[in-house]
Amino acid sequence: MLVKMCNLFNAAVVVAAFLLMGPITFGKCVAFGSPSSSSETTMHTNNWAVLVCTSRFWFNYRHMANTLSLYRTVKRLGIPDERIILMLADDMACNARNKYPAQVFNNENHRLNLYGDNVEVDYRGYEVTVENFLRVLTGRHETAVPRSKRLLSDEGSHILLYMTGHGGDEFLKFQDSEELQSHDLADAVKQMKEKHRFKELLIMVDTCQAATLFSQLQSPGVLAIGSSMKGENSYSHHLDSDVGVSVVDRFTFYTLAFFERLNMYDNASLSSLFNSYHPSLLMSTAYYRTDLYQRHLEEVPVTNFFGSVMETIHTDSAYKALSRKSFSRAEIKTSFDKTVNGDERRILADSDGQDLLSDLKKEDQQGAFKHLWKTFNDEVGKIEDVDSFVQYGLLVMLPLLLLPTWLSW
Amino acid sequence: MALLLLLLRPILILSLFHFAPIFHSEAALGSVAEEDFSEELLLRPLPDRKVLAHFHFQSRAPHTNSNGRHHHLFPKAISQLVQKFHVKEMELSFTQGRWNYDQWGGFDPLSSSNAKPPGVELWAVFDVPHKQVDDSWKNLTHALSGLFCASINFLESSTAYSAPEWGYRPDSGSLSGLHLTSSEFESEGVGSGIVLEQTLTVVVQPSSQRTVRIYSHETKLQPSWSLTSIFGRKVSGRCVLAKSSIVYLQLDSSLVAELDSLQKENNISSTDKYVSEDFSSNACFEVSVKPDRVLKELKGFEKKNPSVLYEFSIDKYNESGPFDLGLTWTVPVAWSCQKAPLHVSRFLMGSGNERGAIAISLRSTELTNKLLHTDSNEGRCKLEVKVFQVVPWYIKVYFHTLQVFVNEQPQAVSDVVEKMLVSPSVDKVSPGVLEMVLKFPCGMKSAAITLDFDKGFLHIDEYPPDANQGFDIPSAIISFPNFRTSMQFLKDDSSDKSSILSKFEENSAVLAYTEVLLVPLTTPDFSMPYNVITITCTVCALYFGSLLNVLRRRVGEEERLENKEKEPGWLRKLYAKLTGRPLEPVESTSTSSSLSSSKLKFIILVAGIAVFWQVYYG
Repeated sequence: MLVKMCNLFNAAVVVAAFLLMGPITFGKCVAFGSPSSSSETTMHTNNWAVLVCTSRFWFNYRHMANTLSLYRTVKRLGIPDERIILMLADDMACNARNKYPAQVFNNENHRLNLYGDNVEVDYRGYEVTVENFLRVLTGRHETAVPRSKRLLSDEGSHILLYMTGHGGDEFLKFQDSEELQSHDLADAVKQMKEKHRFKELLIMVDTCQAATLFSQLQSPGVLAIGSSMKGENSYSHHLDSDVGVSVVDRFTFYTLAFFERLNMYDNASLSSLFNSYHPSLLMSTAYYRTDLYQRHLEEVPVTNFFGSVMETIHTDSAYKALSRKSFSRAEIKTSFDKTVNGDERRILADSDGQDLLSDLKKEDQQGAFKHLWKTFNDEVGKIEDVDSFVQYGLLVMLPLLLLPTWLSW
Repeated sequence: MALLLLLLRPILILSLFHFAPIFHSEAALGSVAEEDFSEELLLRPLPDRKVLAHFHFQSRAPHTNSNGRHHHLFPKAISQLVQKFHVKEMELSFTQGRWNYDQWGGFDPLSSSNAKPPGVELWAVFDVPHKQVDDSWKNLTHALSGLFCASINFLESSTAYSAPEWGYRPDSGSLSGLHLTSSEFESEGVGSGIVLEQTLTVVVQPSSQRTVRIYSHETKLQPSWSLTSIFGRKVSGRCVLAKSSIVYLQLDSSLVAELDSLQKENNISSTDKYVSEDFSSNACFEVSVKPDRVLKELKGFEKKNPSVLYEFSIDKYNESGPFDLGLTWTVPVAWSCQKAPLHVSRFLMGSGNERGAIAISLRSTELTNKLLHTDSNEGRCKLEVKVFQVVPWYIKVYFHTLQVFVNEQPQAVSDVVEKMLVSPSVDKVSPGVLEMVLKFPCGMKSAAITLDFDKGFLHIDEYPPDANQGFDIPSAIISFPNFRTSMQFLKDDSSDKSSILSKFEENSAVLAYTEVLLVPLTTPDFSMPYNVITITCTVCALYFGSLLNVLRRRVGEEERLENKEKEPGWLRKLYAKLTGRPLEPVESTSTSSSLSSSKLKFIILVAGIAVFWQVYYG
C-alpha cells in the first residue's frame, strides 16, 4: 500500500512538473523554432571580434587602453588580425600629451606596452561613427571599402562585440557628437541575424548604465554582458600618475585579470568569467543577459568568443570532398571547469530557469518525459543542503498521508 | 624659425614611391631578369646636434610572364594595387613633425624629395581615361586605407584633393608634368615592371655619450654617436634577401668646407684629407669603422666644396663581428647646411571668426645673395618661384585680392606674377586651387603674397567631433625651377649603381613645403539641435493640447455638471426624498449610521426614563 502510494506520488509530481513546464518549453520552442534550428545545423566556423572605443580626447585614455587590452587578449587567444575589426576614436600613442610616445599602458606598472607589436587599427579617428559601426555590423559598405575593414562573418561565426566609452540610459556616446541607441544596436543585431552573419554573438559593454543598452535585443544566440546596471556608473580602476590619467576601467581590468590566467587551451567557462565579477570590486553590478542564449554557460568555454578554437575533423585522406553537413558533429570532449569560484552567485533570479529551458531545448528529440525527469533530478541535485530538503519533503508528505487516510475512513 | 621638435622625439618621415619603370631614369630595367631588393642607410650629422638617418629600401619587379602574378620578393599587395587601379606612379608619405629647412638643409635631394608636410600626402598618376580618374582616385584611397591602417580614405573628401595642371615637380625623364590623363602612355604602363621605393627618414637627437673631456667651449662640441646609441642595436650582417646592404655616412659640403678651414688653421695642408684612404689621421672627428670607399661629389655648378660620402658595405660583417658605425667629434665644429634659395613661411592674418588672410612670405637667404650676385650684373636676372596651394572650400578665398609685396613695397601683380591658374572652390564639391609662377628680381630681400578669405559655414553634420580645434589648410608647395638638386658622385664602376646615389643624381627642382595652417571656424553650439527639438516639441505639445482641449470640450455638459456640484447636500437629500430615488451610497451609509446612533440614543433615553421611573416612582 505504501509503496504504491509513493509511486503514485512520484507520478503526480512528474505530471505536475510536466504541466508546469510543458507550455513554457513549448512556447519557447515555437518562438525560436526556425532560427535556432538553422543555427544548430551550422557548425561553428570562425571567430570574429569587433572592438570599439567610442571616445576621443586625452582624458579618455583609459577607453583606448581598454580596447587595446582586449585586442591583445583576443589576439593572444588566437583570433587572427584579419578577423578583428578594431575601432579607435583617437590616437593616444602619438598624442602630444603622451609622455611615452608610441606606447599605451593599461597598468601603472608599465610592464605591458599595448601598442607594441602590430596593432592594426581598422577604423580610427573621425571614422569611428555610428554610421560606420552599424555598417560594419550589418555589412552594408560602399563597394570601395577594403576587405580588411569589413566584418566578413558567416552563419557559423562567433562574434565578440566589445564596446567602451561613455554611455547613459539606453545610449552610448560616439566621440561626443552622436549616440548609438539601444534600438539601433538591437536593429543591427536583428539584421545580422536575418542575414546569417553570426551564430553566436557576445556583446560586452563597459560604460555607465551598460545594462540599458541591451534592453531592446531580441535576436536569439545573443549573450550580453554589461559593466553596470541602470542608474550605476562604471568607474576607472586606477590613475597612473606618470601618464597623468586613469589608464583602465574596472570592469575591463577584472576581465583582463581573468584572461591573463588563461591560454588558448584552457577550458574556463563563460559562467566562471561571469562569476569572477564582484560588485564590491567593480563598484557596480555586472549584468548578464542570457535569456536569448540557448546553451548552458557552464558548458561554453570563453574561447568560444575570445579565442578561435575550431573543431577539427580528422579525415582519412587529404582533401576529401566532404559536404559540410554530412559528417556527424564531432564534438570535442572537453572537461568544463565548473569549479571556479566556489560561490555560485547569480544576479538574475531566473537564470536557473533559463538554463533549464535552454537545456530542455537542446535535446528535445529525446523523450520529453525522460527529459523532464532528468531535469527534475538535476534540479534536485543543485539543492545545497540535502538534509533539510529531505525533512521538508517528509513534512510535505505528512498531510498527503493524512488525506488518503481521511478519505478511506 | 623656432625649432619645432621636442628634443627626444624623432621626426619621422616615411614615404613610399611606386614607379612604372618607363618613367624611371633607369631604362635598363628590361634587362633585369628577376626581382631584386636592396637596402641602404644614409647617416648625416646635422648642424643642430642632431643626426639624420635615411633608410632606403628598393624592390624591383620586372614584368615577366613566367611567374604569373606571383612574386618572390616584391610585396604582392602593392603589385595588385598597381594592376587594379592602373597606377602609373604613386607616392604616399606619412610624416610626423616638420622638416626644419633652415637647420637641416633645403637644397639637397633629400630635403626636396623626402621632406614632406605633416600628416599624409598622396600623389598618384593613373593610366586611365580622364572620366575614370576620380573613381580610380577614390578606390585607391580606400584600398590604401585598408593596407596601411590609416584614414587615407578621407583624401577622397571634397576638401582634400586636386589635380595640379602645371606640375609641382618638373621631374626627370619624359614626365613633364603631373597630368592625370595620359593616354599617350597607355598600354606600356601596366605591362612593364614596378619599382617600389620605401624610405624612412628620421632625425634624432643623439644622447651625448661622453662629455667627460673638458673643453673650454664644450657645449659647442657636436655629440658623438654610434648606431648602438641611436637605434639601440648593431647591424649583424647583411639582409639575406637583399642584393646589397650599404651604409653611407655623408658629410655636407659646407661641413667639408668648415673642416677644410679648420685644417688650414692647424696647418695641415692637405685638403684631400677626408677623401684619402689614410682615414685615421683626421684631426676633427673619428669614425670607428674604416670605410670601404670614399666618394666625392662632382663639383656642381655653384658648389665650392664637394660633399663627401663614406661607403660601408655590410657584406663582411656577421653575428660574431657586428657592424657598429660610430662618429666621435674631437674638435668643435659649427657649420650650416645649404639652404633653399628663399626661406618660405606661411601664416594667417586677421582676427575674428568672419574673415582673414593667408600670407606666404619669402625671405632671401645667404645662398640667394651668393648665387644671384654673380648674375646680377646681367640685369635681366629673375628668380622664378612656383606656388601650388589647395584651400578647402569652407575657406572662401577671394583670388582677386591677391597682393604682392617685394621688399615690403606693394607691387603690381602683373609685374611679378608670370602665370596664374585659379580654379575657384565649389561648395561641397571641390577645393579651390591656386597655381602661380612668380618672377622676382634677383636683388630682392623679401617678398610676400597675401590672399583674403571669408570663413564659411558648414552643415552641422559636416563638423568633425573636435571642431573647436580648428581646420587645417594643407601646406603650400613652393618650388624653384631654376635650382636643381642633383648630386653626382664619382664612381669607378657604374654597373652596380646604388639606389640612393641614383636617386641623388635625379635632376629635380628645389622644393619646399610650408607650414600647415590651423583656421578656427565658427562652430555652432552642438547641443543646439537638441534645444531646438525640445523647444519645438514643447510648443507643439502646447498647441495641440490646447487645440484638442478646445475641440473636445462640451461647454453645456460642463455647466450642468458644475451646477450639479453646486447643489448643497441637504437640498439633494430633499430632492431625493421628493423624487423617491435612493441617495448615493456614501450619503446613505452616513444617514444610516446617523439613524442608528439616533436609535441608540432613543433606546438609551427610554432606558434612562425607565430607570428614572423605577427609582423614583417604583
